[in-house]
Amino acid sequence: MDAFIRGVGTSLFGKQPELTASELIWTAVAEALSDADLDQPDAVYVGTCFGEPGIAQRALHRMGITGLPITVMENACASSTHAFHEASLAVDSGRYSNVLVVGVEHLTSRFSGAIPVDPRDFEGRAGLGLPALYAMSAARYQDRYGVTPEELAAISVKNHAHGMYNPRAQHRSPVTVEQVLDSRMISDPLTLLQCCAIADGAGAAVIGNTRHSSRDIKVRGSAMKTGGLWNQKTENVWGHDLIESTAKNAYEAAGVGISDIDVIELHDAFTIGEIVTTEALGMAKLGEGASLATSGHTTVGGAQPVNPSGGLLSRGHPLGATGTAQVAELVWQLRGEAGKRQVSGARMGLLETMGGGAGGIDGNACVVSVLEGN
Amino acid sequence: MTGVGPGPDPRPQLSPGSGAPQVAGWVCTDCGHALALPAPWCPICRGKLADALWGPAGEVWSSTVLRVPLPGRTPPMVLVYVDLDNGPRVLGHVENASVERLHAGARVALTGASPDGDLLFDTE
Repeated sequence: MDAFIRGVGTSLFGKQPELTASELIWTAVAEALSDADLDQPDAVYVGTCFGEPGIAQRALHRMGITGLPITVMENACASSTHAFHEASLAVDSGRYSNVLVVGVEHLTSRFSGAIPVDPRDFEGRAGLGLPALYAMSAARYQDRYGVTPEELAAISVKNHAHGMYNPRAQHRSPVTVEQVLDSRMISDPLTLLQCCAIADGAGAAVIGNTRHSSRDIKVRGSAMKTGGLWNQKTENVWGHDLIESTAKNAYEAAGVGISDIDVIELHDAFTIGEIVTTEALGMAKLGEGASLATSGHTTVGGAQPVNPSGGLLSRGHPLGATGTAQVAELVWQLRGEAGKRQVSGARMGLLETMGGGAGGIDGNACVVSVLEGN
Repeated sequence: MTGVGPGPDPRPQLSPGSGAPQVAGWVCTDCGHALALPAPWCPICRGKLADALWGPAGEVWSSTVLRVPLPGRTPPMVLVYVDLDNGPRVLGHVENASVERLHAGARVALTGASPDGDLLFDTE
């Protein structure tokens, strides 16, 4: 497709209650516009989950980004990945020449602990918090496939080790399997260090319809969809079938397969999420994804590093900002600008974000995109 | 916004009839798909829905113990997804002495609903 990522930027990620959402957006957008060498986009696509009405306009008018179409999209954790996907399609179709994508979330002003599922949802009213939603998958994997606590912890150990070299990440200290398993139990079998933390942050990207420099990263293919019904007829854990189906569409759009991918940023909101997602992407058979981390396959230096940024577990997960942070990491990796966490020779990258919270379906939305460097 | 709540209860409801606790649900008259929640038609085949009762017996699909608080909730809470026999998958709570998650495949039975409307299960 004719869509190129010309520039990216992010704020720092982490608990930043002293900063407003606008200030986070200014940092990310200023960096992305400078990186793209662009003054004004033709349109802005914004992703946010809990952001208040007008959150983007409130920030952007003070940067002089006014008098143009600003569209806000909500798809839970995939909100700004969805905005990125739509921006890529919009420039590819000729609707715009340059679209600014913004992702933002200010969670410390909304939640102090675990994020509940909305009480208007039947599962939310029944007391399902987001850690419990993923813990149900982890417990099922333990019972059905024999996944061990140590295998779950290995995901956290790997991603925290990666995050040590990401100066924008919330958690930059290494952890051991023992520390992960000894941390406080949140929702059995997931302990605290297996759960992403509440964070504030923003990210931005400029998507253009032509290549302007050798640093531009091509969007080779992208897919987004909502999950099918998730009920008594569903054999697999929540999200698996949606990710698998979306990835298939993205591979077809890009004309590649998983074996062509050099580096991956995916949705590890909880350790089990990375295991299920790597299986759904085709990297391992069902029930065998845990071995990818323990074998080193998905570690930086391994064959297909997953979450070199540190992922959501280390970088932090301001929901609406996460997709743009994942895009930024892949752009830096594919340009060879990722510093100490650089995946050597990375040319083809894969982006995956999963959003959930509506009971009865296999996910509110999943986005999978394939990005290509020079 | 004082006094504004989240609106009508969206959870599955127990049948008000006497006897063993059952979920007052629906079944598609065309394809037989079982539902615990109201819908305008069968989401699979768009067939007409008829009233149906599900449970009390079922099988654990998965389970966890949520050990951190949520608004209006006191931890720990033993949560369980149960596939009611020939019926829908529902989310409920387990209230018994042991605060441990149940295991996939375990047999459970619907015992009623808590005062604030959660489906309650216990091992058979």
